Amino acid sequence: MSTLKTGQHQENPTRKQRRERARTERREIERAQAVVAVRRTRLSLLGIVVAVVVAGIVVVLIASSGSGERHIKPGSAEATAASSEVTTLLAGIPQNGNVLGRPTAPVTLQYFGDLECPVCRAFTIGALPSVIGKWVRGGELKVEYRSLETATREPEVFRSQQVAALAAGRQNKMWNFVETFYHEQGEEDTGYVTENFIQGIAKQVPGLNLTAWTSERDEPALSSLVASDEQAANSNGLDGTPAFLLGRSGGALTQLEPSSFTEPGPFNEAIEKLVKS
Amino acid sequence: MSARALRITLILLTSAGLGIAGYLTYVHYAGINPVCTAGGSCEKVQTSVYSELAGVPVALIGLLGYVSILGLLLAPEGERTRFAMMALTLVGFAFSAYLTYRELYSIHAICEWCASSAAILTVMAPLSVWRFLRVPPSAQLTHGRPAPQRADTQSLSSAS
Repeated sequence: MSTLKTGQHQENPTRKQRRERARTERREIERAQAVVAVRRTRLSLLGIVVAVVVAGIVVVLIASSGSGERHIKPGSAEATAASSEVTTLLAGIPQNGNVLGRPTAPVTLQYFGDLECPVCRAFTIGALPSVIGKWVRGGELKVEYRSLETATREPEVFRSQQVAALAAGRQNKMWNFVETFYHEQGEEDTGYVTENFIQGIAKQVPGLNLTAWTSERDEPALSSLVASDEQAANSNGLDGTPAFLLGRSGGALTQLEPSSFTEPGPFNEAIEKLVKS
Repeated sequence: MSARALRITLILLTSAGLGIAGYLTYVHYAGINPVCTAGGSCEKVQTSVYSELAGVPVALIGLLGYVSILGLLLAPEGERTRFAMMALTLVGFAFSAYLTYRELYSIHAICEWCASSAAILTVMAPLSVWRFLRVPPSAQLTHGRPAPQRADTQSLSSAS
């Protein structure tokens, strides 16, 4: 502005220069504004991506902690519901050690399971209750629960949880323990089976003498039962769980490979044949 | 670091990740155990419930992710490809962070292969953000306008 007066005698070049300068200035301002705009766009795009990613993580964590890590605490509403379901299912059915059902039942089903195996849970909650209702309750079938380590990673944990179940069997309450364990099973490989968890299951078995149960858990005889179950599974060629051996009681048992673990149909069919034979 | 050097670095990192994810996908479907120094850890991770997401092995998801990122890196460079590459890398980084969390707190085992992939994505994430933000917007602007070079090549090709 101040050059206006001093450079008056060189009006023409100055005006030209001024015009050019104004043009370049304007361009630079435009460019600077464009740069700012692009930067802003980029940063907001980055912000959107980060927000979406964070939201995704939160959703996954909430979803997986909701359905996945079931940790049913004794005394909670879910525990009470599971416990009463188990009690109703088993009420009035004789138990002896690992056997559920009348000791003289003509047909025997051996159920090889791993308490941490999700498919065993699916069977125990799916097909098994109606098999129990239809055949065990009627005295035609007895079910023996045997063990085979599959889903449980640590052999020590497997032995410990299985011995705990067998110790409940000493008071003829193994099936209550096993059923409650399956009902409250946690997510595989999450290390949820702690001493607390096992004791929590035991506390939910109605009428279980906890002092006696605790001392029986140290019995070597129960550990050797776990080992002999494994041998039996191996000698019958069972390599997964749940696995089943079925036959007339006292006779040879053959492997039953049902087409479904959640539908009782295939079990009913096979059992019916044996009951009628 | 020149844009070219940065791009080559990212291509190399992505190729390494691609190799790892490819190997783990192969191992998953072949039903064999990955070569692993920490006894049984890889097997434990690879056979855990977290090795699949809605029935799809996470190794395969990783493989597809790396393939897409590599495709975007090899495509002609521009604002959109840089953005898409960065977005995918950040998603991959978040996913691998989630899986590492699962390894540490749920499976209690670390598989070196998965950890290497997580490390690669951890390096790639800031690099891709930097790459997206750093290109001088002015250069971008002139590049984004009807490019004179393209007009030249067009006229050349039409003349020939």
